[in-house]
Amino acid sequence: MKRLRIVDLAPRWWGLVVIALLLGGCVNATVDEMTYNEPVAGIGESSVVILGRRHAPDYDTEFDFIECIGDHIHRGDPSIDVINEIAFINQFYPWFEPRTAPMQPQTIHRLLQLPPVAERFAEMQLEYMIWIDGNTIDTESTGSMSCGIGPGVAGCFGFGTWGTESEYEATIWDFTDKVEVGRVSAVASGQSYMPAVVVPIPIIAPVQGTACDSLGDQLLEYLSAHH
Amino acid sequence: MGVASLASTIFDLEPSVIGRGLLLLCLTLLIAGCGSKQVIVEGNFPEPLLDPLPLTLGVIYPSAFAEHEFFDEAKGRAESDWLVKTGEAQVEFWDTLFGGMFAKVVHIRDWETVERHRAEIDGVLIPAIGELQYTVPTHTNVKIYEIWMRYEFRLVDISAIHQQEDGALTFNPDERLATWPITAYGKTPTAFLQTDEEAVNLAAVVALRDAGAHFVTTFGAQPDIALWLNAIASRELPAETSSSMPETDGAPPTDTPVATESAAEMTTTTSPDEQQPANAPSANSASAGEAS
Repeated sequence: MKRLRIVDLAPRWWGLVVIALLLGGCVNATVDEMTYNEPVAGIGESSVVILGRRHAPDYDTEFDFIECIGDHIHRGDPSIDVINEIAFINQFYPWFEPRTAPMQPQTIHRLLQLPPVAERFAEMQLEYMIWIDGNTIDTESTGSMSCGIGPGVAGCFGFGTWGTESEYEATIWDFTDKVEVGRVSAVASGQSYMPAVVVPIPIIAPVQGTACDSLGDQLLEYLSAHH
Repeated sequence: MGVASLASTIFDLEPSVIGRGLLLLCLTLLIAGCGSKQVIVEGNFPEPLLDPLPLTLGVIYPSAFAEHEFFDEAKGRAESDWLVKTGEAQVEFWDTLFGGMFAKVVHIRDWETVERHRAEIDGVLIPAIGELQYTVPTHTNVKIYEIWMRYEFRLVDISAIHQQEDGALTFNPDERLATWPITAYGKTPTAFLQTDEEAVNLAAVVALRDAGAHFVTTFGAQPDIALWLNAIASRELPAETSSSMPETDGAPPTDTPVATESAAEMTTTTSPDEQQPANAPSANSASAGEAS
């Protein structure tokens, strides 16, 4: 009897699900680029490191976002050697911690006055240091969902939706000349949905992934000779 | 019953089995929400990339430091008791840092070590944790876990270390070469599939790394440390010091009342009007004195 009632309600819920599926996954992304001195022949056997800024009091650039950008670049051009961020920070401890990380390319000179630091940089053949600053946040959320449990009964009913925004800026430092050679920014936003008929079905907008692809494409275009 | 029937159709399981499973899951989640939470801080700490200072440093880890933990009792039903043990990680971290920063490090645990290494030790460093504060999202509604620590470092000459009748080591604070505070801050955002305990552990590891970075970059700039380094340099020419630790004009040491403190039980007192950094969490503090 109750089972029939649920089936009766289903079309309304499935309508919401269909709408959510149609709307879900829609992500808007805007990319701005301003770069100089592009390495026309690529970066050869030199390497690149991508680092996140983590000195702000209210947010950290996510480690997995940095990894995503690095993977995107390496996938697009396997000849580009992208150094793992955590390995880099550990190898240069304590000079790239939030407290000590250089904020301007000119301050690299001071770091290079330390012989062990200079030696390690030379071993790495580092050509570009790319700093990513930004994060992804959830914005306004609406809807309601109720979950209940009883002997032999459990489930959730309702519908929720929330927005997600990603805003990142990449600053490219030419490590040879110790100058900034470009900035690329990506802003992405999208709406996620969660209809629930017994079981919640999350339909997540890939906002951060889109920002990663957008920023990664621009950086790949800058660094690679094949793009 | 209807929901379980529908679910049983989807998952091809008996409704009672699904109901019991969900009930158990919800009960587990409810129980997990209230009890006490314990973290034994663990992490991998890298060696610092430095030219070691050509010094032999003695290190005494007082028991309050080596076994440091703090306990914070829940203030409401929505909160949990927290017990965070940082002692082992503190010793592991500072051992790694001092090992990379100084040519030789001698751990002083007993009088025999003092006697054996008296001639070669340039100074003895005694760290202490003065204060520790933390916040978790349930306290602040901000999706960030934070830990803030204030250390008190004391550098004394080996001659200031004495042995008590019971064998414990003590030192006379009046004979200190330098004393200075180091603050450290670590935060980590909430992440999917990361428990409160894992996030607090990560924030503590970040704070430890920050403490090390602060220590390395300010060590040579402390006036009393600069005086000490200059004295050693003039005694053992030609002395070489790392360029990462600039020497500065030192101020004379301040006068302190003569008293004897036990190195093993040394604690630091906290002034109520002590300044905190702008990014220090404001809630839920647990001073070293409160450690159980």
